[in-house]
Amino acid sequence: MTAAAEHDAVRELSGLYVLGALADAERARFDEHLRVCAECVEEVRSLRAVTAGLPLAVPQVEPSASLRERVLAGVMPDFSRADTKARLKPASPTALPAWLAAAAMLAIAAGLGWYTVRLRDRLAVIEAQLQQALQRASNAETQVARASGAASEARATLAILSAPDLARIDLAGQPAAPAARARAFWSRSRGLVFAASNLPPLPAGRTYQLWVVTARAPVSAGLLKPDAAGSVNAVIATPPDLPTPVAMAVTMEPEGGVPAPTGERYLIGTP
Amino acid sequence: MWLLWAVIDGSRLGSVDPSGSADQEVIRRVAAGDSHALALLYDRYARAVYSLALRIVADPAEAEDLVQEVFSQAWRQAGRYDVRRGPIVAWLLTIARSRAIDRVRARRAKPDGLLMSDERRAQQIADPAEPQDQVVVTADESARLRVALQKLPMVQRLAIELAFFEGLSHSEIAERLEQPLGTIKTRIRLGLLRLRDAMGGAT
Repeated sequence: MTAAAEHDAVRELSGLYVLGALADAERARFDEHLRVCAECVEEVRSLRAVTAGLPLAVPQVEPSASLRERVLAGVMPDFSRADTKARLKPASPTALPAWLAAAAMLAIAAGLGWYTVRLRDRLAVIEAQLQQALQRASNAETQVARASGAASEARATLAILSAPDLARIDLAGQPAAPAARARAFWSRSRGLVFAASNLPPLPAGRTYQLWVVTARAPVSAGLLKPDAAGSVNAVIATPPDLPTPVAMAVTMEPEGGVPAPTGERYLIGTP
Repeated sequence: MWLLWAVIDGSRLGSVDPSGSADQEVIRRVAAGDSHALALLYDRYARAVYSLALRIVADPAEAEDLVQEVFSQAWRQAGRYDVRRGPIVAWLLTIARSRAIDRVRARRAKPDGLLMSDERRAQQIADPAEPQDQVVVTADESARLRVALQKLPMVQRLAIELAFFEGLSHSEIAERLEQPLGTIKTRIRLGLLRLRDAMGGAT
């Protein structure tokens, strides 16, 4: 290819180049061309003004006041950094309680082929079930995130399901409820969507409680009251600093919930 | 009011210091182990670093972790800082962007089929010893860029933001926006040219 033809062929890569979005082969080709083309070098140079400015063009937000101390404490010479690291590092995932590890193996072995409906179809079902579940659940009994109106709940669901950082956790019924099933979609940035079916009816004075099991300790994600058919759906705003779930579980607990799981396990699953 | 903020913002960021001598002095003291100098850097630039990190990872706790990582790296590598590289804020923001994109990439389920140039460059981009074009961004330019970004045609703006703030590759962007590769290539270039002209004051 003549130099002029090569120039015409690659000059438009300049934008992707300064943004660092070129695949290796294209980048190498453009680098090669820059060695011989002053015009493209100049264009790249001028576009770098934009990439220098873009980081400053984002909405400016003040971090928390405590961050300053954390940052400076982290570099003070007499503050042992190894000590900090040891304290902050979460426990190894192999510290799972035995019953959870065993149940997680069961969940994997049971297979995930149960859920065959495509995501979009499932959305319509979730939306309908959401309406039903919301009508039945009382404010005192659930801790789900509530925007006003079911339409907002559907939007929240969609926002979570379209999140780029979505993880899926399938939960399998335990001996207390072998026919029960559940699926959770979790996005660190947007929250948790949870749908369960075939949960046995609750005795009086009892509730189901959803747990996010982390490397540290199980965190309650809310209370669940299934409808007459044993289904329940929830959209839950999870705290952004929630450690990555190692597993999720549903137990039966006294009405009002408990701070840590004590009751029988009904559903367990791992990502 | 907005313009006043923009001017104040600029002077806070130190981006109107043409000689860079103030920056040089601070970084020299950081390299010498002066933690007060690091505190000065923090007070000047933490907000900008945090804001960029937050824009990319969308999670306040992770963004704060990133701020810690950035200043930690600055503390360790200040001795190797090459003043030819440009304003310190640019270096800090480059580290922040590189680390933030590493994190969001790690979150994504499946790797891209094409090799990601950004992954390899992530380590080089933040190398303090690597000389680069000195680009100072004034407060006026920054303000004009913000406005121009909002006025860009949607595909151009989305493509640029997906590349710069999400670290997506050429093919990933094409897939997300459901456009051919060639379209994404030209739209990004046109968008950046337009932003460049707006920054420089062209209307």
